[in-house]
Amino acid sequence: MRRSWKGLAAAGVVAAPVGVGVVYAAAAAVGLVGVSRPDGASGQRVARVLAEPAVWESTLWSLWVASASTILAGAAALGTAAVFRGPGRLDRSARSAAVLPLPIPHLVAGVLGLLILGQSGLLGRAAYALRLVQAPADVPALVYDGWGVGLILTLAWKEFAFLVLVAWSALAERGAALEEAARTLGASPGQTFRRVTAPVLLRAMLPAGVAVFTFILGSFEVAALLGPSDPLPLPVLTLERYTDADLGRRSDAFVLALLGIGLAALAVGGHEWARSRWPDLEG
Amino acid sequence: MRSRLRLLMAGVVILSAALPFAVLAVGSVAGEWRWPALVPSAIEGDAWTATLAGGTRLGPALLYSLALGLATGVLGTCVALPVGRAIAELHGWRRHLGAGMVFLPVAAPPIALGTGLQLTSLSVGLGGTFQGVLLAHLIPTTGYLSLFFVGILSVWDRRAEDEARTLGANPRQVLTRVTLPMLRPSIAAAAALGFLISWGQVPLTLLVGRGRVPTLPLEVFGYVQSGQERFAAAGALLLALPPLLALGAARLAARDVDVVPV
Repeated sequence: MRRSWKGLAAAGVVAAPVGVGVVYAAAAAVGLVGVSRPDGASGQRVARVLAEPAVWESTLWSLWVASASTILAGAAALGTAAVFRGPGRLDRSARSAAVLPLPIPHLVAGVLGLLILGQSGLLGRAAYALRLVQAPADVPALVYDGWGVGLILTLAWKEFAFLVLVAWSALAERGAALEEAARTLGASPGQTFRRVTAPVLLRAMLPAGVAVFTFILGSFEVAALLGPSDPLPLPVLTLERYTDADLGRRSDAFVLALLGIGLAALAVGGHEWARSRWPDLEG
Repeated sequence: MRSRLRLLMAGVVILSAALPFAVLAVGSVAGEWRWPALVPSAIEGDAWTATLAGGTRLGPALLYSLALGLATGVLGTCVALPVGRAIAELHGWRRHLGAGMVFLPVAAPPIALGTGLQLTSLSVGLGGTFQGVLLAHLIPTTGYLSLFFVGILSVWDRRAEDEARTLGANPRQVLTRVTLPMLRPSIAAAAALGFLISWGQVPLTLLVGRGRVPTLPLEVFGYVQSGQERFAAAGALLLALPPLLALGAARLAARDVDVVPV
């Protein structure tokens, strides 16, 4: 019993700064602390900010980008992991190359997104060389665009490396032995994939996918470099309010910060729920 | 047909990994580069020569980020190892609760965390200082590394520690003669991971550092926003190099380990 409290207390030490941030943001959101207290200690600011259409547009837009990037990266990771898992040279080369973006900072991915996907970027130049476009204006806007296509592609490229590594680890640790057992019991290659490989991959990748989704949702620098100005991605809108020339609007950022932390907490709950559903995959 | 598809897929994977670094290398020396030319018509090495001569903000920022990353990696590992061990010893719902708690600093959006922490750091005199930014970087780092050690220590074989105790070793001897030496590769990996978390950090540095802590990511961010693409590409390449070297070192170290087939 004593040991369990020690473990939870240790976890509390690591989680405490988030608690401090949340308590401060909550106090500032209701006007108890902060640089400006025009509404006094009340819920007026929270209600006003949450009634703004721009806030919900930003939130939904960020949820769209996080969902699309995670699904795209996950699908590419599943396919790549299933195809290149053998001992051959091609498989090893593909595995080495696929994880290369893993340790690269997200800011570097953002710079690459601009240099490659921007209207005068490498992709547009290649399209001209292939006679697909005649002028920069003919190149579809992939950065600063309303659908966030360039941002989604950039984030999917960056997160693919993490997800494919998780997929390969799952296949190496559990997939091979289970597949062999299924084949020994007479399963066809198709049945082995449907009944063994795909479930092993999906179960291992769901928590990883939730983690990627949460990370992208709160990611600032790539969204600031490649996202549109209308709607602003939620983290960018938060910083914009926090540095607003109008002091009265600065504390709005704390409401947005609470919104961001609330969405992250929901994802953490989902993550732990997913983990607890399949305890046999935790080793 | 199947082997052709595999070749095509491998080509896409390898190209998507290698091309971006070539783009950064070319972008960092690109002089005149009019659309639609595929390569620049003139080479300009000023981003590198000026950086080497100390004429840009990139050189000092690189050293600043290295110091910050090393301190974050070492301190983060020192905190996360005992926390991860304590959580790994939990069972049932307490373990899920403990893991969920240390996952919070990982999942909390840095920009949201930073807004809450900025005035707190100011009120204790740490706003705009190296120490303040270090503490801010340690928040997500200890979360990540605690989860890392929970994973490692959940499957940790304690028999060697038990045997040492049976042979009369005291707790300190068990820690220094058995546990730490056996965990050395994981500790090194955790310190490297902690370094990388700090190395790429932008929002927490921006908010808690208040523009007075000039790390490499902030300088690169500034160059991009001011449209100085050559300097931004050079800075991005400097940002990419240490992580790539770390990955290469990790691959060499794990060459004989069959768990993660990188």
